Amino acid sequence: MAADDVGRLQPSRSGRWLGSDRARRRIRRFVIGTGLAGYCWEAGGTAPFSSTALLSVLFPGAVIAVIAYGRAPERIKPPDSLDITGFSYWIVVLGVLFEWEASAFRDDSVWSHPSLTLLVHPLIGPHPIKSIAFLLWLLAGWGLVRR
Amino acid sequence: MITRLITVIGFVVVIGAIVTLEFVARRPTNKIPTIGEWLGYLMRGRAGRVLILLGWLWLGWHYFAR
Repeated sequence: MAADDVGRLQPSRSGRWLGSDRARRRIRRFVIGTGLAGYCWEAGGTAPFSSTALLSVLFPGAVIAVIAYGRAPERIKPPDSLDITGFSYWIVVLGVLFEWEASAFRDDSVWSHPSLTLLVHPLIGPHPIKSIAFLLWLLAGWGLVRR
Repeated sequence: MITRLITVIGFVVVIGAIVTLEFVARRPTNKIPTIGEWLGYLMRGRAGRVLILLGWLWLGWHYFAR
């Protein structure tokens, strides 16, 4: 043990060693981060419409569902009410997005009138980009569980 | 060609508006809720929570499994 560590390894009120707790948290974060990165890399490399691609999406969905209902983390308190004027801006913008997408969908999402899906798919085509997008999707899911 | 350009510009404008709205909502003393706030509000009940999580799952399936 380095001399610098002596000061940091102080017992807490409960008698546990704070230094070892911190180290355990770091190891846990590293293991989760590495596992997540590896999983996203594998999921980003699956072929579209394959059962592997489907399972790579359903598995985190099941994990999130179990966490949400079985072992829910500490949730961020939602607001008691929403300002209706403020929220109406969101309704308008999301309504326009939905309408724009629906109009492209109605025209069968052809090249001359593409839907968002048709535009996004080539963008997330490269393996690393798709893996990053998958990671963002997983993080969004985790963010939702905490809400 | 021109209809494709108009469609793409439309999506860019709407997505830009979403990003701007979130940015404005995060400024202090603003009454516009952030995405997290209104999603949290909608997810207070079990039905809202299930629907939003199903929406998230659908998004993953739509973009990564298909």
